[in-house]
Amino acid sequence: MSSAIAEQRFREIVPPLLDDAYSLAKWLSQNPTDAEDIVQDAALRALQALSSVSVDRPKPWFLAIVRNSAMTFLARNRRKTVAYVGDMADLDTVDLRGDDDAAPNPEQELIALEDGERLRQAIAGLPSPFLETLVMRDINGLSYREIADATGTPVGTVMSRLARARAMLAKTLRAEA
Amino acid sequence: MTGRDPDERLLRLNAALDGELDAMGSLQFERELRDDPTFAAEYQRLTELRDAVHRHAPREAAPQALADRIAAMTASVPAPAPQAATIPTVTVVPFRRRPWFDTRALAMAASLGVLGFAVGAGLTSVRAPGSGDVAQHLVSDFARAEIAGQPFDVASSDRHTVKPWLANRTTVSGTIVDLAPEGFPLIGGRVTIVDRVPTPTLVYRHNEHVVAVTELPVDAKGVRASNAIETIDGYHVARWVDANLAYVAVSDMDEKTLVDFVTAFRQAQKPASEGPAP
Repeated sequence: MSSAIAEQRFREIVPPLLDDAYSLAKWLSQNPTDAEDIVQDAALRALQALSSVSVDRPKPWFLAIVRNSAMTFLARNRRKTVAYVGDMADLDTVDLRGDDDAAPNPEQELIALEDGERLRQAIAGLPSPFLETLVMRDINGLSYREIADATGTPVGTVMSRLARARAMLAKTLRAEA
Repeated sequence: MTGRDPDERLLRLNAALDGELDAMGSLQFERELRDDPTFAAEYQRLTELRDAVHRHAPREAAPQALADRIAAMTASVPAPAPQAATIPTVTVVPFRRRPWFDTRALAMAASLGVLGFAVGAGLTSVRAPGSGDVAQHLVSDFARAEIAGQPFDVASSDRHTVKPWLANRTTVSGTIVDLAPEGFPLIGGRVTIVDRVPTPTLVYRHNEHVVAVTELPVDAKGVRASNAIETIDGYHVARWVDANLAYVAVSDMDEKTLVDFVTAFRQAQKPASEGPAP
């Protein structure tokens, strides 16, 4: 496989996905400079891979590479802050519905939702498996199936992580309201 | 956990929100929505939350500099060698702010067996043994970059783009000047590995010719000031040292033009130089 073909595939696939890639990397690293390095690293990996594979669904494919690059980057550079998720049982202790308090005041919740900075902080505070699932769904617009492919998890896990992520967000926003 | 039923309910609410229910699921969902006000209220809350995420955390545009670098990856001549599928083990090279990135690129370049690829990868490599002359290696690097047809990794005439790009990848950071008014517009920058340390190289153009200025620590091996223009392998080389950094300029310009360039470069840098001009 000549690299000219890889380069052509790369030019077709990667540039249109840069905004998605950068957004994902920025949320995962929570640092714009690191996000650029992560995306550039992912692009290098993609270029290399494209000499031996053709890609049916570019978006989940490239975002999976970005996600893995981010994991590698964070593991190398911020060993202490990476949340390793070895035991999913721990995560199951998170209340899925997130409403073990009294029923929320609907007005209160609306006010919290208008506070963009607080919402972004709440998103950033999600543990990484929930963060990546939420970002891939609500910011990158991937389907459950695509998120499952990109993160290497079963669709059922994607569904519960997404539900938990949103429940945690709602709970955080309500707690701070 | 309060049992599987409420969980299942929430999963279905989320799936409905994301358009992931099949036809039968949608039918059942619509019935529930109609018959159960609590369920409907939950769905409403979830919808508002999702909309707020869309509103306050939208997809963000990638910086132009990043887009430029990605575009530059495939702007080089096609690499002829077949590529290995795996990335070799990374070895850590000392004296780097971000060892992982450049070493991975270097390892990749090695796996390709084609240094030309390294231009796209944001890296050029110069082997400078301890006692060797750094200028000789920079000349080889210059010639190689010329042959590859891509003398820079970040293509920009804007020093505010070039500087942070280089600053993120190297440990040396001098003042970047644009010499367009003097006839030497800045066209980009690249990272050159000298004695295993990534150092910034600025690339300027003059008509059809190019000059590459590499900034080195003053105590780097092989650095020395030289008043005369040297000729190495047919390229002209100028070196000088100021209070903070040593410079080696390699060019395919004629001697006189290179002298003019060096004069303009040093003149432009003077205001930023903390020490007395030599």
